[in-house]
Amino acid sequence: MLDAWIDLARGPLLRLALLVMLLGLLRVIALQVYELVVAWRRAGDQYVPWRIVWRRLAGWIVPWRALRDGRRAPYSAASIVFHAGIILVPLFFAGHVAIWRSEFGVTLPAFSHATADVLSLAAVAALVWLLAARAANPARRHLSGLQDWMLPVGLLVCLGAGLLTSHPQLSPFDARAAYLVHLLTAEALLVFVPLSKLQHMALFWTTQASTELGWRFTPGAGMRVRATLGKEGQGV
Amino acid sequence: MTTTADAPPSQSFHRSKLTADDVQRRLRYIVEKDRLVLDDLPRRFLETFAAILTHSNYRQVVDNYARITARCANCAPSCQIYQHTHAPHDVPCYRSNLLLEVYRRHFTMRGLITTRLLGQEYLTEDRVLEMASTFYDCTACRRCTLDCPLGLDHGLITHLGRYVLSELGLVPRALVISVREQLEGATHNTSAIPLPAILDTIEFLGEEIRDEKHREVQFPVDQPKRDFVFFPAVSDYLMEAETLMGIALTMHVAGDQDRWTIGSQYFDGINYGLFYSDWILERVLQAELDEARRLEATNILIGECGHASRSAKAFAKTFGGADAPPVVHIIEYTYRAYKEGRIRFRPGAITERVTYHDPCNIARTGWVVDQPRELLRAFCSDYVEMTPHGADNLCCGGGGGTVSVDELRPYRTGVTGARKAEQLRATGAKYIVAPCANCKKQLRELCEDHGLDMQVVGLHDLIYRALDLE
Ligand code: SF4
Ligand code: SF4
Repeated sequence: MLDAWIDLARGPLLRLALLVMLLGLLRVIALQVYELVVAWRRAGDQYVPWRIVWRRLAGWIVPWRALRDGRRAPYSAASIVFHAGIILVPLFFAGHVAIWRSEFGVTLPAFSHATADVLSLAAVAALVWLLAARAANPARRHLSGLQDWMLPVGLLVCLGAGLLTSHPQLSPFDARAAYLVHLLTAEALLVFVPLSKLQHMALFWTTQASTELGWRFTPGAGMRVRATLGKEGQGV
Repeated sequence: MTTTADAPPSQSFHRSKLTADDVQRRLRYIVEKDRLVLDDLPRRFLETFAAILTHSNYRQVVDNYARITARCANCAPSCQIYQHTHAPHDVPCYRSNLLLEVYRRHFTMRGLITTRLLGQEYLTEDRVLEMASTFYDCTACRRCTLDCPLGLDHGLITHLGRYVLSELGLVPRALVISVREQLEGATHNTSAIPLPAILDTIEFLGEEIRDEKHREVQFPVDQPKRDFVFFPAVSDYLMEAETLMGIALTMHVAGDQDRWTIGSQYFDGINYGLFYSDWILERVLQAELDEARRLEATNILIGECGHASRSAKAFAKTFGGADAPPVVHIIEYTYRAYKEGRIRFRPGAITERVTYHDPCNIARTGWVVDQPRELLRAFCSDYVEMTPHGADNLCCGGGGGTVSVDELRPYRTGVTGARKAEQLRATGAKYIVAPCANCKKQLRELCEDHGLDMQVVGLHDLIYRALDLE
């Protein structure tokens, strides 16, 4: 019974989840690019300082500024470790590479079990730390909504179950049950990507340009807003 | 989120019992009560927001921010307000999220479905008034933007939030009155100074320079086809005589006496539109551009004023087209004259300790950061930096137009400027150089309210003293 579920989760459900994520992200990207083009065409001054946009973007791919700032360094370091784990392990862990090959015909290089373990454990530790930092800091707590708690918890379950799957001798549960939990939580998270703040994996790349275009105003827009509001001819 | 900004919001709201006094009690600044929208405030907010999203370029950026914000509070330690209060509602993202949440709930398919299904009415009078209050706590200094991993620009959201609110009358009276005089009044300037008074002032300043420096320095007026038409913050004519004298003397010594002019039809660089309304921003800038065109000037030269410089520099081409005159900041001009050897300073002319305050509007992007420092080091024997400084500077606490709102002073000097006051105290400087009319006013009030025995001056005030006239 469990094996049948695993087959379902490993095959059709995984494909479905990936499809939902990819289509969702494609839609998000398409909408964003469309909006950016519209904004650019309407801008009175179409100059976009691409060098600055790129510099700011690059500054967050490797966030030296944050890492040098004592107040932000721990959170930023934890964030980097966490992101490294959840980006690299799903792609290059040998077990995943086998799935990509068998289910999708895609061949990716695999890194060793030990590397995957280190990255995964570090990601779990970083995630626990990030979650604790969110809970302990009143400002972060106040800002947080449901997804800010549920997504990390879901990820922790997924990562934990994944580690138990690859080390069945350490697992207090049936390794196949852990595997199923790992697959199902991963798929749920994939489906949530385009519906949650996880969209930032696609939109992170456009935000700086989006901000610049936000400051590129449309000539006459102020008057048109006034006209729409029935205030044409009214003074200040 | 499918955006539905073009569709008018369809929710219905209860008729309000809100009174102008209720509104006023919620705000730190005074509003024009007879201009307030009171009935159906949330619906009117949404209609205004919808109109702005439809006609302007904000939708793409609001939609982006609304989707991705991580609510990590990484921006909190950057903000001088949060640094002082440590209050959760002073986290930049919390403030921006008030507007982003309105967008999520009322302008996206998902938000509309949730609202319908759960029968929730998100935008209430209370939430509108919370925004009206908090968007004037933020000085739109954009320091926090440097520290958001996802690149959210809270200055932009504050600007947009204020823009929506201003169309509902939720805007400081002090700003509106100034702008009304500037655009529709008899004097065409925010300080309501009649032209004859300006002409008297510059004549007097010329005489002062003659008495003190023995030079015949002119403040040219209405000279056509000059390289520079000059727009200072008009309040400089009343408050900052030494700054203007320093600028005129610099021009004179550099041999550019006949390359600049002041326009008599329009001479005010102040543009409060940058703080609260795109409609105002465009109209004020058009007035500047019209004057530059009338005088056939090649460049627009802005005086020592941060927001006047940024509003002209960033938007001249937007509203004036590709052939709009280039905008030059007076410090850029002076720096070039210095580098070209057309002006010289007496080394060590200023012996007292000097520090430099970076106005956010010219420093945050790195536009004017190094030039004033190189100039100051050329003639100050004891120059010290604040920490942090440059593009990473702390706002004076009076940015975003709040310095012009007198009733905000206790908040400005007690909260938004508190960190700046500590920073200033730590320098032990005698002179704080602040090349911005707004920063100067705020820093003087900070010194008074924090008991700092320091003198706030413009860059050209010291240049006036240090120029080598031999
Ligand atoms: S005051 Fe400055 S740092 Fe604080 S939220 Fe506003 S823009 Fe950001
Ligand atoms: S740093 Fe950016 S994402 Fe994080 S809370 Fe601040 S604005 Fe939001």
